[in-house]
Amino acid sequence: MSVIETQNLKKQYAGKYVLQGINLSIDAGQVVGYIGPNGAGKSTTIKIIAGITDEFEGEVSVFGMDVRKHALEIKQRIGYIPEQAAIYDVLTPIEYLRFIGRLYGLSEEVISKKSWELLRLFELSDKAETRMNTYSKGMKQKVLLISGLIHNPEIIFLDEPLSGLDANAVILVKEILSQLKHSGKTIFYSSHIMDVVEKISDRIVIIDKGAVVADGSFETLQQQAHKGTLENIFTSLTGGDQQNTSTAKEFIHVLNS
Amino acid sequence: MDKVILKILLRIIHLFAKKDVDFDRLKIIAETKILMDRRRSPANYRQKQRREIKNPLLITLVMYALLGLFMASVILARFPLMIGLTTLHAYLLFMMAMTLVTDFSSVLLDTTDNVIILPKPVSSRTLFLARVVHILVYLLQFTIALAIFPLIAVFIKFGVVTGLVNLVMTLLTVAFSVFLTYLLYAFILRFANEQKVKDIISYFQLFMTIFFAIGFQVFPRMINLDNIQLTFSLHWYSYLIPPVWMAVGTEAFNQWNFDQVHLLMLACAIIVPIGTVWLMIKFLAPSFSRKLAALNNNTEVTKKTAAGQQAGKDLSEKISPLVCTTTIEKAGFEKTWKITARDKGFRMQFYPSLAYILVFIFIIVFNSGKNITETWYKLPETKRFLAFIYLPMMSIVSCLPIVAFNDNYVAAWVYQSAPLTKPGEVISGMLKSLLIKFLIPVYIVMFAASYYIWGAQVIDDFILGFFNNAFIFLLMAYLSDHYLPFSRQANIKAQTGKLVRMMLQLILVAVLVAGHYFALRIFWLPSALIPLSVLGGYLLMRAIQRLPWTKIAI
Repeated sequence: MSVIETQNLKKQYAGKYVLQGINLSIDAGQVVGYIGPNGAGKSTTIKIIAGITDEFEGEVSVFGMDVRKHALEIKQRIGYIPEQAAIYDVLTPIEYLRFIGRLYGLSEEVISKKSWELLRLFELSDKAETRMNTYSKGMKQKVLLISGLIHNPEIIFLDEPLSGLDANAVILVKEILSQLKHSGKTIFYSSHIMDVVEKISDRIVIIDKGAVVADGSFETLQQQAHKGTLENIFTSLTGGDQQNTSTAKEFIHVLNS
Repeated sequence: MDKVILKILLRIIHLFAKKDVDFDRLKIIAETKILMDRRRSPANYRQKQRREIKNPLLITLVMYALLGLFMASVILARFPLMIGLTTLHAYLLFMMAMTLVTDFSSVLLDTTDNVIILPKPVSSRTLFLARVVHILVYLLQFTIALAIFPLIAVFIKFGVVTGLVNLVMTLLTVAFSVFLTYLLYAFILRFANEQKVKDIISYFQLFMTIFFAIGFQVFPRMINLDNIQLTFSLHWYSYLIPPVWMAVGTEAFNQWNFDQVHLLMLACAIIVPIGTVWLMIKFLAPSFSRKLAALNNNTEVTKKTAAGQQAGKDLSEKISPLVCTTTIEKAGFEKTWKITARDKGFRMQFYPSLAYILVFIFIIVFNSGKNITETWYKLPETKRFLAFIYLPMMSIVSCLPIVAFNDNYVAAWVYQSAPLTKPGEVISGMLKSLLIKFLIPVYIVMFAASYYIWGAQVIDDFILGFFNNAFIFLLMAYLSDHYLPFSRQANIKAQTGKLVRMMLQLILVAVLVAGHYFALRIFWLPSALIPLSVLGGYLLMRAIQRLPWTKIAI
């Protein structure tokens, strides 16, 4: 059964279509990697499905409910983790999680217990009561992850979840994502890090200039494109292949001049 | 105070809350926002606080209350009601609008909410109400801080009825200031991208910082206005000035006079603020927030300047070949010149101290306890032009410690990675840049003022003074710890030995001023001393250029 369904999803900014008819149907329990060049419309798609942006054309439903009409019920059952460490960093993690937890309607005891436990697992418990403006980007990202998962959502949206994390944390997050998948969660995320996407996704959707250019498991994409790695498939589909090579050549040429 | 106001507001909402408002969520959003307000470092007068203060908001409020105290004394002075109240409402309108622009703008223009709160199951109505509550709490606590003393003064001087009416008028003034602020934002947003908006706001912040710096020096000295006679008369343009409406409206109740003029003004005082705010909420605000959201989405700003070769040369690039000898020195010169102009942190910390020059001059030249006009006429007989020569340096030298700091201090790695053998040349380039950029313009203004007052006799003194100033500047730079420009992390603990350096500077300036003062007795001596001063400056500059890495603090 598909939990996310978009039909001919379009979105325009200032008269220009940044999404030009996205059709997706995602089943429960799938891990979907959503990749594309900068400005392809990744964040916009995620924001629309998560009910953050409600000005769009086409049909979008989550859990079989129209996102325009049942936004609140949907939001209660999904988790959204934004990019760029968007967080109120004058708060401490405990205060921030308390705020987020209460917005989800969780009780104080549950929030407090979960926050401390989860922060401990991310090795942040000794800093749990320090304001986050002293935090590194990776530490903020960890708090964001917790804040998006604290209400145990059924679908999780992540916008560039790995950016800014150190190598160990990337491995940890990867592991958490696959554990979440095993417990039946649906995960929809965007990322730049191709080899991670290649390894943990059941399904990869590549978009370019607001349209889907490839959709399927890694193996399917491989067969279609006759290329080895996801990186190669990606550059050949998004048209960067030849251009990157020639740009690089020119770069060296200028250096030597 | 904020928590008390919040409690009262929440009570009121609880009474009227409709079904679609989620009271718990409203409460937690408002509470969190207020907590964050407390921790936000105030935008004005930031330069004094390098440490993290527990409740910076409280300090701001106390400062505002102090300003209110001056205003209360204006009310209590022997002015007629109209003058006192017009001043009061003009002051409230100005302060409130400026506070909203400079201090609250970071909250109002912040779109983090869109990614933090919007994904959560919060209805838009709840979020809207939470925002209104948040803004009201902010407005009310600043209103209380600003207006409490003047309001009490009005109660004491004009009685209970006038006091109460004035209280209502105060709230109306605040409402109108919200509308004015909104207009300003809408205007800026129309023409500018996000970076521009922040820049424009930072100029407002700078203005307010200077306003506070000067205000606290000048206002207390102006309180003694009792013997000035002022009368108030209505002109046609009075009808266009909102504070006048408020004052006349209050006067109507004070004198129980409801003739045509009073009624008209009273109507303006009530209808305009309420009407504009209603208009704003109903029609203008939705498009405003949409514009704001679009602002954040259009991150890829198209730059006007295309390839670097087409862009015109920066002023610093024209000056640097004239004053610098090596490429490294030029690099230090140009970098310092450009970053001091563009870095908000530097502007906010240093420019207010330039404004202090005026305050110093005012205090030292004019404030001998006598009549200002009398002092002014006797000025040409004195030797006070020495103050014009040497006072600016007291402020300008404060850029030395500031220029070492930058938010983006990590970028200073280039100094280490580049094959830089003479780091002293970067510092000498920096010092030349600061001297030319800040001392010369200020000095020219000082010279023009002195020439106007004292005439041609000051020319040689100003030439000698210039080199002496440069000498002081270079000596202070030479004696303090050496940092490469913009290489230190902000917010680390205050540099040590600050007091010692201040004392040293005072002694040095005192010696030079005394020397200069005595040299004035012999007609040719100031001119003769110029080469000596130039030589001193030259030797210092050379010593600085030769500073090795071991003498540079990183």
